Amino acid sequence: MQPDASALSAALRNAGIDAPVAEERLGLVARPAIADTPSALRALHAADYEMLVDLFGIDTGEDIEITYHVRSFTRDEDAYLKANLPYDAMLTSVWDVYPAALYPEREAAEMFGLRLVGHPNPKRLLTSDEFNVPVLRKSVPIRTDIELERPGISREHLKAAEEANDNG
Amino acid sequence: MANRRPAAKKQPAGKSAQPKQAAQSKQSMQPKPAAANPHLLGEILPEGAYEVEVLPKGLHRVPRGVDELATEHLIMNMGPQHPSTHGVLHLLLEIDGEEVITGEANIGYLHRGIEKLAEHRRYNQVGTLLDRSDYLSGLHSELAFSMAVEQLAEIEVPRKANWIRSLVSELNRIASHLVWMGTFGMDAGSMPGFLYALREREALLDILETITGARMMFNYVRPGGVLMDLPPEVEPMIRAFLADFPTKLEEYDTLIGKNEIMQARIKGVGVIHRSTALAFGLTGANLRATGFGWDVRKERPYAAYPELDFDIPVGETADCWARYLVRMEEMRVSTKLVGQLLDGMPEGDHSAKVAKVLRPPAGEAYAAVESPRGEMGIHLASDGSDKPYRMRVRGPAYYALSIIDEILPGNLIADAVMTAGSLDLVLGEIDR
Repeated sequence: MQPDASALSAALRNAGIDAPVAEERLGLVARPAIADTPSALRALHAADYEMLVDLFGIDTGEDIEITYHVRSFTRDEDAYLKANLPYDAMLTSVWDVYPAALYPEREAAEMFGLRLVGHPNPKRLLTSDEFNVPVLRKSVPIRTDIELERPGISREHLKAAEEANDNG
Repeated sequence: MANRRPAAKKQPAGKSAQPKQAAQSKQSMQPKPAAANPHLLGEILPEGAYEVEVLPKGLHRVPRGVDELATEHLIMNMGPQHPSTHGVLHLLLEIDGEEVITGEANIGYLHRGIEKLAEHRRYNQVGTLLDRSDYLSGLHSELAFSMAVEQLAEIEVPRKANWIRSLVSELNRIASHLVWMGTFGMDAGSMPGFLYALREREALLDILETITGARMMFNYVRPGGVLMDLPPEVEPMIRAFLADFPTKLEEYDTLIGKNEIMQARIKGVGVIHRSTALAFGLTGANLRATGFGWDVRKERPYAAYPELDFDIPVGETADCWARYLVRMEEMRVSTKLVGQLLDGMPEGDHSAKVAKVLRPPAGEAYAAVESPRGEMGIHLASDGSDKPYRMRVRGPAYYALSIIDEILPGNLIADAVMTAGSLDLVLGEIDR
């Protein structure tokens, strides 16, 4: 599979979206502005990217990077759309373009503490309603003080063990 | 008839109604014939043979009231503890009599935060987590993760390691499909199939235990290769299995699939059009049952698959019956593949020389394998440290489940059970 950026850039250009397309280690990556993402995905869908393979977020430390992995079966080609979303921003649903986004959008919103707009069922997907911690943000520790509060086990002891484990 | 439908009185929840409209508008999106690819359907079946546009007459059921009586919709909880929901799937069904008006899957009962935990494990420790995500085919998730790490760290895998990886993958695929075959038969009330299937699976787990040291939680495929070389005593075990299994599989096929009651039960039930399947991101046997022969082993070859000779079975009718046929055929294909892999097993190292603590350079990589349920992909982001910066598991059953809300409406409750069973859902991988 030899990456060929021409189809991806042409589709984005024809839709009037200004997004740099680069060939990275991952594959073809286009980086539109977050406001352009729904229209960019609509353009890609029209350009024979039939399937949304995956959708997920990455906490970059400054914002949330949402990655849309799309695939064209006709050209046997994968492409990635990456858009950066501020921590307090809203994630616009693209389920009307790719219904496959229905679940992963809910998951990304709950795991990164984003607000989901335009989604038919914007509930939490994997965690319960009262658990409102954006788990996958880097600022959320893997263990919390609440979890450490157990009879007979001191917080300091567990924290030291955790640090020792992290440092190898 | 139509104006007596209780739906006019009480609107079903809009959330489930809306995706339905969207997917219907997508019915017009005809997937391109993809003539360039010989594995895709155009070359295998005559044009138009696979497109079931409407259900056969009498099989499409619409919800309706009883004569002049107005009936009420009922919300029914199916699961999370239910013999037909394969783990802890919780289905919320809005029903009118026996007919499903809307269906919604409620998941998360097995959520363990594997993606978060992976950010706090070294690269060679993540395999233990992934074994527990898709617990019926742990080796496939491990393989996808190892391939992603190898892409990032630019590790060359020895040829023998690739062959062992393919061998254990195919053994694990048969074991996983056997569980599916048994539980699918059990959903329809056929108990013996389940017992026989688990007996065969036990032989496979013994083989896998001899190879990897564990029955289910393997942690055997590591970045760079595999943990250990094949022990000498395993080849006779696999040969004995191969001598036995094909005839037994035909017996089980006779017991389950060739049973007339079973065929009447699942033919025409749970039809997923190809356009809907693509729109919802279905992969694996669920997609191939619609006649779309896309298999990661062929399209993005990995491990030893470029050197092997095998066919991709595709279905025709896109219903539960087609998914049954495809999975049964996949077991036969995998059996042949195991034979090929044993015969051609090369000599050499079982692993590349890899540092004890891996620190792949910063970057992102995506690697996918064909797990028994479809495309299992691992998206890995590294920041150059000894732990993954972000690991995303692209689970095939996760996307297969998301289609449930779309296809259940209009079915009987009993058909909802068969439809969910035919999708081969493993909740460990959906909830992660």
